Amino acid sequence: MQDVWINGTAMAQTGRHYGLNADEMAARVLEEALKDAGYPEIEALFVASATAEQADKQQMLGAYIASRLGLDKIATYRVENADGSGGAALMAAAMAVRSGLYNCVGVVGVDKPNDVLSNQQQDIYSTATDAVYERYFGVTPAAQAAIMAKIYLAKYEYKYEDLALWPVLMHKNGASNPYAYMRKQAKVEDVLESELVSDPLRLYDVGPMADGAAAVVLCNKKGAAKLLGMWTSTSAIPFNNRPDYDVLYSAREAAERAYRMAGITPRDVATAEVHDSYSIFGVLAAEALGLAPRGGLLAALKSGADLKVNLSGGLKSRGNVMGATGVYQAVEVVWQLMGKSPFKRVDGSIGVVHSMGGVDKVSTVMVLGL
Amino acid sequence: MEHESVPLYWRNIPAYYRLVAKRCKKCGEVYYPPVVKCTKCGSAELEDYQLPHEGELVEFTVLRSVPTDFLKQKPLVIGLVKLGPVKVLGQIVDAMPEKLKPGQRMEVVFRRVVVDGKYGLVMYGYKFRPRP
Repeated sequence: MQDVWINGTAMAQTGRHYGLNADEMAARVLEEALKDAGYPEIEALFVASATAEQADKQQMLGAYIASRLGLDKIATYRVENADGSGGAALMAAAMAVRSGLYNCVGVVGVDKPNDVLSNQQQDIYSTATDAVYERYFGVTPAAQAAIMAKIYLAKYEYKYEDLALWPVLMHKNGASNPYAYMRKQAKVEDVLESELVSDPLRLYDVGPMADGAAAVVLCNKKGAAKLLGMWTSTSAIPFNNRPDYDVLYSAREAAERAYRMAGITPRDVATAEVHDSYSIFGVLAAEALGLAPRGGLLAALKSGADLKVNLSGGLKSRGNVMGATGVYQAVEVVWQLMGKSPFKRVDGSIGVVHSMGGVDKVSTVMVLGL
Repeated sequence: MEHESVPLYWRNIPAYYRLVAKRCKKCGEVYYPPVVKCTKCGSAELEDYQLPHEGELVEFTVLRSVPTDFLKQKPLVIGLVKLGPVKVLGQIVDAMPEKLKPGQRMEVVFRRVVVDGKYGLVMYGYKFRPRP
């Protein structure tokens, strides 16, 4: 089996890119990543996108991205796991290199949710719920996240003000990230005064949807960072019949397997980027990665612990770039390990990515090392 | 969403109108949404099982940011209700959210769910309300 290295990385500033088509935006970022890698010959392109059909009426995006760069005769694959598409595409690409089939592949994540109106974004995002038993009745991921937040806060005797510490930390981290969508500090009062989206969750608990594209080049020869372990896991339990609502089963399983593959423990993790599409998921994901005991992350935040989680600002501040999110997270973690601007070098050599689709449906955890 | 699918709606009518779940003939485990194979004992012999129409509220939220089909009904109260052996997620109606409490008795009601524009389908299904 081949070792897998990240040879090139690139990302676009997230936001509202009204002037760029999805394939064009992806192609520009992929070109940057290829340049960063020294233009190796890539044999396949894995495209992560959650909204290509719904927002941009485009299937087979990989073939059109390849067209924009003249990447003739390569294999192209589109990987879709809703907002967890990025992690899934990275996993598929890593397997393809690890197997020895390809020497070098490109992974690009792209989504342009701002090509549609905000209500249509809700329509698109709710297709990540069960179409027949959830979406049909008006259920959205926000409503499910809200129910999980209510149960979590009650079970561990926290107040909503405690949960508000998560968005405050995300804004603090994201304020200095020029690639982020919401680059401003926030106070607890800002969070408490923001409008309710689905109680107890408020506007500041929700990662705003943003257009974005990020790319990495994976090769079997030494590069900036090495892929030490990686695992994708689903949680087959329907939302309505979960035994527990205060845990992310998919993240917990993926983390356990990826850590085992990498031979690390949570103590080795110097930085982590987790899928906080809603603040409660950031809390639950960090716990699933073992960065705090179950039910203990908010207590750690309250006591002022210096958590190296979502130094990018996470989905809250960097933005929820949907299917591109996992690829952004991988780029961010590599840059944090290297100390590449705008990130300061973290104290350690191992970083973790958690990419999740929907409400704990599928998670991918990736362990990267220098 | 615009133009819902007729077959998609039609084939799910037993669930939407009567809350028909599946029960394993071998071990008795009940599944909603239905499964193709019992995940507990592995048996593929499953039978229709109608869920009780009364139960208990587990938790709920008032959803203010809704999909386009539900703009006229906003906000939606989304609740998790225990109906016999399973929990079901759906809309809660005829209730003041501030008076709802986990543990309270609920009952199933039959209501209009989605009106698909002027010429599309009018679609129905179960919702929950506090038991009087």
